[in-house]
Amino acid sequence: MKYDVVLIGGGLSSLVCGISLQRTGKRCLMVSGGQNALHFSSGAFGLLGFRPDGSAVERPLEELDKLPANHPYRKVGAAKMHEYVNRVKPFFASCGVMLDGDPERNSWRLTPTGTVRPSWLAMSDVTLYEDSVVSIGRKALIANIAGYLDFNTAFLAEGLEKAGVTCRLEAVALPEFERLRTSASEMRSVNIARVMDHDQVWKKFVEQVCVLLRDEDVVVLPEVFGLQDEHVLEQIRECIPARVVFVGTMAPSVPGIRCQSALKTAFEQAGGEFLMGDEVISSEMDGERVLSVRTANLGDTVLEADHFVLATGGFFGRGLQATAEAVSEPVFGLDVDAPEERTQWYNPDFFAPQPYTRFGVHTSENLRAMKAGKEMENVYVIGSELGGADALCEGSGAGIAVMTGFKAAEMING
Amino acid sequence: MTNKNEFDVIIVGGGITGAGTARDCAMRGLKVLLIERHDIATGATGRNHGLLHSGARYAVTDRESATECIEENKILRKIARHCVDDTSGFFITLPEDDLAYQAKFVESCLAAGIQADIIDPKEAIRLEPSVNPTLIGAVRVPDGSVDPFRLCAANMLDAKLHGAKVLVYTEVESFIMEGDTVLGVRTVDQRTGEKAEYRAAVTVNAAGIWGHHIASLAGVNIGMFPAKGALLIFAHRVNSIVINRCRKPANADILVPGDTVCVIGTTSTRVPYEECDHMHVTPEEVDLLLTEGAKLAPVLENTRILRAYAGVRPLVSADNDPSGRNISRGIVCLDHEVRDGVKGFVSITGGKLMTYRLMAEQAADAVCKKLHVNQVCKTAVTPLPGSATGSVEEVSRKLWSVPVTVQKAAAGRSGDWAEKIAMDHPMDRSLVCECEEVSVGEAEMAIRDLDVHNLTDLRRRTRVGMGTCQAELCACRAAGLLAKAHGCADRARADLKDFMNERWKGMYPVAWGETLREGEFTQWIYKAVLGL
Repeated sequence: MKYDVVLIGGGLSSLVCGISLQRTGKRCLMVSGGQNALHFSSGAFGLLGFRPDGSAVERPLEELDKLPANHPYRKVGAAKMHEYVNRVKPFFASCGVMLDGDPERNSWRLTPTGTVRPSWLAMSDVTLYEDSVVSIGRKALIANIAGYLDFNTAFLAEGLEKAGVTCRLEAVALPEFERLRTSASEMRSVNIARVMDHDQVWKKFVEQVCVLLRDEDVVVLPEVFGLQDEHVLEQIRECIPARVVFVGTMAPSVPGIRCQSALKTAFEQAGGEFLMGDEVISSEMDGERVLSVRTANLGDTVLEADHFVLATGGFFGRGLQATAEAVSEPVFGLDVDAPEERTQWYNPDFFAPQPYTRFGVHTSENLRAMKAGKEMENVYVIGSELGGADALCEGSGAGIAVMTGFKAAEMING
Repeated sequence: MTNKNEFDVIIVGGGITGAGTARDCAMRGLKVLLIERHDIATGATGRNHGLLHSGARYAVTDRESATECIEENKILRKIARHCVDDTSGFFITLPEDDLAYQAKFVESCLAAGIQADIIDPKEAIRLEPSVNPTLIGAVRVPDGSVDPFRLCAANMLDAKLHGAKVLVYTEVESFIMEGDTVLGVRTVDQRTGEKAEYRAAVTVNAAGIWGHHIASLAGVNIGMFPAKGALLIFAHRVNSIVINRCRKPANADILVPGDTVCVIGTTSTRVPYEECDHMHVTPEEVDLLLTEGAKLAPVLENTRILRAYAGVRPLVSADNDPSGRNISRGIVCLDHEVRDGVKGFVSITGGKLMTYRLMAEQAADAVCKKLHVNQVCKTAVTPLPGSATGSVEEVSRKLWSVPVTVQKAAAGRSGDWAEKIAMDHPMDRSLVCECEEVSVGEAEMAIRDLDVHNLTDLRRRTRVGMGTCQAELCACRAAGLLAKAHGCADRARADLKDFMNERWKGMYPVAWGETLREGEFTQWIYKAVLGL
């Protein structure tokens, strides 16, 4: 089979790149292993939240020239960064994902543990605040689903109390959740969200919340609503006679999964093809060109393309592989920026910056992969597969995915 | 003697030796106080193989330890049934080993009273498919595995049921002394900074390697030899039978299955006493454990490593042995009045997890002699809480309404004590830890009955966070339960950070492959999503 572009990886960067290419007339195939970082998203995107010293960034675009030379944003370039940043909201809106927030200025979001974190653009579940001392209201009713442990109401309440909000905790028990509870490991965000979606169980839940509501001016709910349809969030806000604030849960992320499926639908509606639950296992090369790849499920069927986009992520996404001896890129055997000595890979402090998060595939200025010191002609690397950034400490994971996704699409389109 | 701070005996150290001694003394009717500066089982007790030695390992080189091991082995199978897994064990001879050693080994085992049957290598492979198929000899012995956390908690619980008072997170700062007599201890509460004094006619130093420091507070020198032992835990139970090498004890020659995992170890290196509180596993040790481990079971080469850890053996110096491999694992019970002229002070050290009960018996005998109390030891015949009634299967059946995996896990961990786990309400059955099947009810029972002050304590009691995900989901859930139980989210949040750091400490020495993947994911969740 012959395509214009084969994208390897099905996460945020690949979807953004694939949709852009498909909409400009390129015939694309996406090979996706399944889960990706969107499934573990906070529901908010970060562009650049923190400086290396840990201080919060207010205007990300003003910090770009301070980033290291091999940072993905430096490869995208300042002019393109300004252009892309303002393209993000309309792009996602065209895929059915409404994002809130000022593209050029960071806001704050409330985390599930009651702390705050700088955020850039957010899905409709997440409320963004101008100030780091979040002002959600005077008195809050924090309503959980009875027996659901991944929404940590005690932590949240204490965080809010510190910000001057009086909190009351309640748990709503609905018979619809009994079946989930008999298999205790099923009480996870996505399963709960599925039950909420089914037969509009969320309406019963909201009715119970309304019964519990006294004089509180704000109701805090876990992000387990509107998995299929984000309009449910708006309906919930209309049903409850108080301000409704949704707060994230332990992974998997309901807003993240909803976003992923909206982008996948947009890609397919634009004519893109999707190979789900498959992985590239071999490739054929001619000099610095990749001619074709084969996947585990398609067997002998060869997938040819003019361009290949590698977006398989970091270690978790298996875009990078580490053994006791070395770090490598498993699909094409590309050059990886990582020290040989494994004692250089980690910091003994869990919460300190971890060197391994900066590892990634070595690319040229225009995101083309390097292999054995030579620039590949038709392989582009995007997202967290790229080295040079500590996306975790910077708060830049989604930003890097989207910006490099746009950039690679433009490079391929010429 | 009515003052609440007056006791018959004070025991310093909340490892298995201290817990066992507290139980023994309390069962003999003494008024007991046990003081531990951290949580129970934080030292060598929780940092070993969890091997229920048959004694075979020492049969050739250390007859006394071998005999003690097999006797205690038989006793623990009765009194601590719920902590023991009767796996049986092999001593295998590989082509690079001398097969002639096998005859000497079997002869020594039999002389020490340890059953040792030579079996055909093919039969060994049939019984234990993970064993190195190139083996040229195999001997079967009654090895098993034992959960040291469970064993320590059961001893501690029984001591309390017999009236002992247990203070954890309390450090002994100095002894109250009058001339050359120890009258008691001055302590500081590690959490509040509050100071206190406790008095007793006898104080027992059961602080393991840290006993060196405790003894020095009374002006006594015990020549301790800190021997570090590093181990690796693998994410699967690759073997169901303990695999040892049939040769003189050396590095990384024991592979022990335990619960859902298996453990390879150990190394033996003398470390400076000052470093005993800060053990970390070096890359060289990891490489050695992997290379040697793969000789026992080749599949280990491709098995995910969960974590690396190291403990310090509290050996007592005998000669100039740089590794400590040749020092006897025998029990050292010192009456400091006889040895050093210090009255009211006893040290119990040396020994090993396997012989903790015998160590406790010797220490309690010494205490009773000093107190002129004429009571015999009953610990060898009295089952621990958890093993008191019925079998694990019987208890599981009683918990019939609960999902079967949760039942088995809870009954396996707590034995008949599992009946005290609330399971009636559906909420109690929600799972905190999915890898290890720990329910809300079980976690709450541990918080209520088993001196749980933080997440790491909870892990030692219930295995929360010890499974393949290394706590990425359960730590946050358990922190929520602790916040509820202790009414303080701030403390639980700080505790959660400590816990994640403690988990990472065992992961970074083996941070490649699946372990690094899990590490990256966990860091992403806790830092970026949860915002800790």
